[in-house]
Formats: sequence, structure tokens, C-alpha cells
Amino acid sequence: MENWDKLSKMPYKEIKEMQDRKFRAFVANQLYIYSPYYSELLKEHKIDPLKIKGIEDLKHLPFTYKWDIAPTDENPKKHKDFVIRPDEEVTEKYGHLAKMSMTGGKDMVEERVYDFKPVHIHFTTGRTALPTPFVYSKRDLENLRESGTRLMNVFQFTNKDIFINCFPFAPHLAFWTSYFGAEKMNVAGFHSGGGKIVGTKNLMDAFEYMRPTVSVFIPGYCYYFLREAVKQGRDFSSIKKIFFGGERVPPGLKDKIKELLAQLGAEDVMVLATYGMTEAKVAWGECPSEDEYFGYHTYPDMEVFETIDPESGEPVGEGEEGEVVYSAIDWRGTAVLRYRTGDIAKGGLLYEPCPNCGRTVPRISSNIQRKSEMKEFSMTKVKGTLVNLNNFFPLLMSHPDVEEWQVEMRKRNNDPFDLDEIVLYVAPIGDINRESFVADIRQKVLRDTEVSLTDVIFKSVPELVSQLGMETELKEKRIVDNRPTT
Amino acid sequence: MQAWNKISRMPAAAISKLQDELLQKMVTEQFAVRHPYYRNLFKEKGINALEIKGVSDLSKIPFTEKKDMLAPPGEPLHPKQFVLDYPAEDEVVEKKKGFSLFGKKDSGDDEIKFKFASLYFTAGRTAKAVPIEYTGYDIDNLKEAGARAFDILGLTRDDTLINAFSYAPNAYFWQMFYSTLDIGSTALQTGGGRVLGMEKILKAVDNLEAPVLAAAPGYARFALQTLDFFGLSAANLERIIIGIDFAPLAVVESIKKLMESVGTKNNLVQRIYFNSEAKSGIAECEPGFGYHINPDHLLVEIVDPESGAVLGEGEKGEIVITNLDARGTALLRFKTGDIATDGLVTEPCPNCKRTVPRIMGDIERKEHIFELQGPGGTIVLNGNQLRRMMFASDDVLVWYADINSSGAEDALKVVVKNVSGTDEAAVLKAVEESLKAEYQLSVTVESSSLDAIANKIGLEKAITEQNIFDNRGK
Repeated sequence: MENWDKLSKMPYKEIKEMQDRKFRAFVANQLYIYSPYYSELLKEHKIDPLKIKGIEDLKHLPFTYKWDIAPTDENPKKHKDFVIRPDEEVTEKYGHLAKMSMTGGKDMVEERVYDFKPVHIHFTTGRTALPTPFVYSKRDLENLRESGTRLMNVFQFTNKDIFINCFPFAPHLAFWTSYFGAEKMNVAGFHSGGGKIVGTKNLMDAFEYMRPTVSVFIPGYCYYFLREAVKQGRDFSSIKKIFFGGERVPPGLKDKIKELLAQLGAEDVMVLATYGMTEAKVAWGECPSEDEYFGYHTYPDMEVFETIDPESGEPVGEGEEGEVVYSAIDWRGTAVLRYRTGDIAKGGLLYEPCPNCGRTVPRISSNIQRKSEMKEFSMTKVKGTLVNLNNFFPLLMSHPDVEEWQVEMRKRNNDPFDLDEIVLYVAPIGDINRESFVADIRQKVLRDTEVSLTDVIFKSVPELVSQLGMETELKEKRIVDNRPTT
Repeated sequence: MQAWNKISRMPAAAISKLQDELLQKMVTEQFAVRHPYYRNLFKEKGINALEIKGVSDLSKIPFTEKKDMLAPPGEPLHPKQFVLDYPAEDEVVEKKKGFSLFGKKDSGDDEIKFKFASLYFTAGRTAKAVPIEYTGYDIDNLKEAGARAFDILGLTRDDTLINAFSYAPNAYFWQMFYSTLDIGSTALQTGGGRVLGMEKILKAVDNLEAPVLAAAPGYARFALQTLDFFGLSAANLERIIIGIDFAPLAVVESIKKLMESVGTKNNLVQRIYFNSEAKSGIAECEPGFGYHINPDHLLVEIVDPESGAVLGEGEKGEIVITNLDARGTALLRFKTGDIATDGLVTEPCPNCKRTVPRIMGDIERKEHIFELQGPGGTIVLNGNQLRRMMFASDDVLVWYADINSSGAEDALKVVVKNVSGTDEAAVLKAVEESLKAEYQLSVTVESSSLDAIANKIGLEKAITEQNIFDNRGK
């Protein structure tokens, strides 16, 4: 792990050289020897790890997909093959670690335990596959702590800040990055576990008791939480920064959040965004700016990113739209190479220094969309319209007349062989002309998603809050696919 | 903080002397000077801190109760009255100089000692939770207490542990987390049923081949009883650590039997007792040998819950705690509302030979004791005993009890879901008979669905399940 101050000012040429070096060592000394999956894969593709020169050679490796790692009912322990583990099974074949430990003595054992022994586990959220465990060794936890402090450094936090973590508690990256980052920075914190754990009222009490300067949320819950706080006349004037994780933050939502915070006495609050994935074991912060988007600042001593054409798999150029592909270069525990994230970076990868903060680390452009949110629909007799559900978020989160919303996909007559329907449930802000609202929203949904809404159903805010599971689910159920399976 | 292997072998007299010294230091240097609430209390009651020379002088100080700490309406910052003041800048400099002059280590740690680091809450078994501030110093003590608890439990880094204590910002979850991390064992911090749900927790036990599960007793029981339903195995499971909720010896036995019946590798069940106010969780080496206290962190008195009189060794009474080495929120003679059925003992543990004081028997909740109107007048229904009885019923899967008013008298209705494969009518009858024998009350027993009962008791929703509902109007 490099010094972040130094790393974030290094010319890209030096960063690239460092990545080449680290990647070579990682493949030869870790993956080839200790990772059952990659060891096998390299052999299968007749790749000599000693001939790998640098990250350019990544293209010779096949991609790793979610389904390669995710457990199945037939093979529930598949994820273990991705863990760098000099255990008996592997050392029998390659390393003879146990024997080395005997001769190397206690220090060697301790060092190896620190490096390799899994001590902490996160799970993927399992939206499209069974939840997959990703394990961290003690050494990995140092990386996680460091990544948390780097993220906070990008967001200009200091140890004078007081922090409330409102991410829902789960063995997930978001909660634990916030915890480990705050811990390493010695930032005073309350790791609440979110409204589901402590309840929205108690969380508001904690805000007034602690008077935090920084808080972290899932955007949908934040919007709900702040609205409730405004209703109760709370004082949140201490807040200076809010950062989000878990999903995209459309600009319109940022404005709504700032407006609510102003009503709670907090002026000029900076609303910041993060991007993270369980598979990469860290999260990255978007460079703070009021008006422009400068991208997420990555940690090139821990990972390498590529952007590729999602269809052909061919690399795309700097700044060009493509699917984000992730490779670990300095991890133990679970590590993946050329992992297809399914996330599309609209503005691609950027290597020139950040025009906003001057940091030189590679950046992922701010506009990221999840490919897994693309669903196939049969809205007409002609089957197979591909609908980009990502587009509902900026439209409805930013809409000035929408307080809460939910999209339901269902089958006409609940018949699995009938046509698909898309229904929008909406709780409007104040009294609106419903007729013109429906016309407007239908036209905008058609424009942004290329599908027509089957119906728009008005609900009260409490009804919709309950329907969304705002206080009961880990993450609110914003888009629900209720289509029966055939 | 003392070295654990030294302190856990000290003779009782030396431990008592150590506690006298720590108490005197804590009272004179912290409570009387930096503590807003006790500073005022001492003044108000005319208590001279210098006269508190040891544990025997403690009775000069009134008890503190949770209600003293609760924020009255419109005063959200009231709990800060229980937080030690941050030292003034000149005080820190002066102290450092002093240390240097005497050649002692200039730790420079005043900032860490007093700087607020993390906020936890009381376990929330009652409606209102109180914020408890931990400083970096307290977190270090919490980690140390965790390491000691693991030492007492005999856990090592080779033990993969599934932490199924419900996530809540309280000491139970966090001390378990720190313990596993510090010791370096592989651990999954599940957050409990309300975060991951039973199936995923059981899958983790199975897939990670975990030998250790930590869970609330009712949840552990339910997990073992539903393994088969999910088609999963706990063949590698060797021990279950129970806590966070009432964990009588009866439930230990019941869980042991269940472990045996589902074919776990071993069937060790151990108990722990943590609370956020104590800032130092404790464990039992073996069930029945008592919870081993960290005497350099915590002073425990056992008192008569009504009169407040300090009771003798081994006498049943309420657990009262005093922080001997805390910063942030610190408490003097705090009545926990927990009753130790066999009091406190100071003789060495006959099992592990550690010499630290031990809290003996079961730890009951005072709030689970109800006064009811029976046909022959007022009777006391000890809900802890009811829970003990129901936990011990091998054929009961889940249950709850309603206390209702029925005319001039009160009535007990128990709702049960029997274990699959048992005869429902026979189970209901057995429960009814045992309850009628125990309580001179109108008792009815009926069955309900698993979902309905699980939902009612908050099995997958609450930090701890609630089995007894007092529906009588206040």
C-alpha cells in the first residue's frame, strides 16, 4: 500500500509503472500459487505468470463474471476458489507454507496469518445471484481502513468532524467502509445501522444529541429522513457534508436534499457521492464540486480498471463509454481479475489529473449505470423491448412534484404468458393538478425509458413509505418486479 | 488497565485492595471533578469525595437509575450530564509535565482518553434507550474486555465464529466484533435475524463450517429447531455462546440437548453478559460457574432491589455497577435492573481457578416481574421463571404470553407453536398443566401459526424477542 499523499500526486506514467510491477508480482506470487480458480485458469490458458510484463497483459486473461463466483445450490462453496489461501489443500500442491512456518518460526506464522487468514466477511447484495461472500484478511482490513481514509480525504474530512453513519447495517461494504475509515481517522462516530435498526425517531434524536458535521446515507432513505425531520422541526444545523452510497444520486435529488437541509438550519451543505462494489472490497469518492462532475478517484495501488465494450469485450479508449472491469492487484482474501461489474461508465475512465483537485489517480466518470437494471419487457406483441430502469431514478427522484414513488412491473391479469405492464405509484408533493401531472409524467417516462406506463396510481406518502419498506428493508424497494415466472 | 493473567490470579484480598484504590482515584479525580451530574450530586448531598476511600464507603453515595439519565422532553442533551468533561488545555499540559518530571511515561493520551469516539445505546430492552458515550480509551477497554471474555470462554483464532447477535449500536454486538477481530478469528458479523434472516445465518454456519455461533438464547434454539426445515447441517458446530437476553441455565440445557439431536460436533453452550453502561462485558467459563468480572474495569455490588441494602456473598439481588476505569459516560452505583439469582462470590472459580469476583446463577430482569390479581388476592408472576419454564419445554418451538384483565382478576393466556412432529394437543395440555401448577391464576393455552408468533415476539425483527405482553391498562 502506497502513501496516499504521494500516490495521488504521482504522474500517471509512474502510477502505471507501479501497477505493472504490482500486477506482475500479484499474479506470480499470489494468484498463480494460492488462488485455486486463477491458478487453474492461467494453466488452462497456458499463461506463464513469469512472462506477464504489466497491466497490458490483462487482455490475455478471460473475464470473470458474477456467476463464476456466486454460490449455487449445487456448489455452495464456489466462492472459496477465489480466496487466496495457502491452506493445506493448496500448499500440498504448491507452497508448503506449513513447512515454511515450522522453520520460519512464530514470526513467520504470525506474518502469514496476518496476510492470509480471513477475519472479516462481506456479502454481495445478491440482486441477480445468490449472495457471495468476499473475505478479508487482517492485511486486507488495513487496505479497507486506508481506502476509507482516502475517501474521506477526497471529501476533505478531518478528525475534528463528527460522523453519523446511517447506512443500514449488514455485512456489506457501505456500512463497514464508513466504520473502518472513521476508526482509522479517529473520527468520532455513531454507526447507527440506519432507520431499520434504530428507528427514524431515535436517529433524529442522535443527530440532535451528537450534532454531527458529516453523515452518510442511502439517498432514498436520506430524502425520507430529512422530510420527516422538517415535519418535526428538528435542528440539524451542524451538518456540513452528506455523502451517499448504494445508488446514483441524480442532480435533482441533490437539490431537494440541500433544500431540506436548509430548512433544518444547515446551509451550504456539500452533497457527495461514492461508488463501490463488494468485489473490489473498497469504495471510491467523487471529487467534491458544486456544479460539475469530476469522477470517482480510484486507488491505483490496490486495483486496475479497464473499460470495455460490453458486447465485444474489446477495450474502449480513455473517456469513452464502456463497462467497468475491475482487477485486484494487491489483496489477499477474495480477489478477482478482470471482473465484469455490469456497470456502465458513461464518460469512461479518465487518466489526466483531476481538473478540480489536481489528484493524478485514474478516475471513473461520475455517470455510472448498472447493466443489471436493464430488463427485457414484452410490452407489445413484439417481444423483447429492453428497458433501462436506471432512467427512472433521475427522472422521478428529481421531479419537483414527486415526493415518493415506486415502479412495479407486473403481468396483465397476473398471467405469466400475458403482456408486461409497468405501473407507477406516486405520492405527489402538495396539491397538484393530477391530470396534467399524469400527462407530463407519461410523456417523460416514454422519453427517458422508451416504454409507456400502463397506469399511474396515486398514494399517500405514508402508504408509499410503507410499500417501499423505508423503515423495514435494507434498501427501499424502488423498482419491484412482480411478474410471475413461467 | 491491569494485565489479565496477573489480575485473574490475584488473591481476593489483593483484588479488593485494588478496587478500593481504583474507586478512590475514580471518585476523586473523575466523578467529583469532571462529572457534571455527580459533581452536583456530591455538592447537593454534602458528600466529601475524599471520604470515599474504598468500596465500604460507597453506601454514602445514592444510586443512579436509568430514569435519572433519560432526557426529559425538550432536553435532548440531558444524558451529557453523565459524560466526563474534557480536560482544560492547561490541565493537559500540566499533567504531562508532571509525568515527565517523575520520569514516567509521557503518554500524551489525554485527548484519546477523553475525546468522544463512539456512541452506543443501552441495550433497549425497555422502551427508551439512553446514549452512552465511549472514548478511545473506553474502546480500548472494551477490546481488552473482549479479549478476556474470549480467554474465559476458551476461544482461539482457529474458531470461525458466526455472530448472530442482533446489530444494534450497543456493547453486545461491538464487543463481540472487537473480540473476533483482535483475536484474529474468521468471523461473520451477521447483524442477526433482522438483518440476514434465519436461512442465511444457518447457511453461513453450514458453508463456513463454523464451530462457534453467538446468538440470543431463543434465537439459537429456534435456529437448531429449523435446521432440518432448511435442509442444512450444523455438523461442524461445536459451541453456542448465548447472551443479550435472559439466558437461564435451563435454556443452556435445552440448547445442549437440541445440539445433540441435530448432530453437532460438540454441544458446549456458554453464557456472556454485556451491557453498554458497564463498558466491560463478562463471560462464564462453564455454565453455572458464574460470570467472571473484570475487577479493574468494574465494581459490582448486589443490593436488595427495594431497600438498596448491600447483600452478602451469594445472596440474590440487583446488580449495581460502578465504572472504575472509564471516560466518556461514567456511572456510580448504577442500578442495572438485572437480578443475579445467586448473587456475587469472591472465592476462586472452582472450574477455571481464576480469582476474580463472579456473578452467580441466572441474570433475571426486574421488569419481568409482574403483580397480578388472582382469585386469592395479589400474586407475583415472575416472568423470568415463566420464560425459564417455556425454554425448558423441548416440544415448544415458539411462544408468547398475554397478561389480560378479566373482570376483577387477571388472566394469563399462553400462545404456543409446537415443534413439528409432536402432538399439538398433548403439548398444549402439558403446558397448561405445568402453568396451572405454578400459578394460582386463570390460565389458558392455545396454539397459533409459526409466522404469527414469530411476528408477535419479533423473532426476526427485534434486538431480543419479547415473550410476555402485559395488556392491562395502567
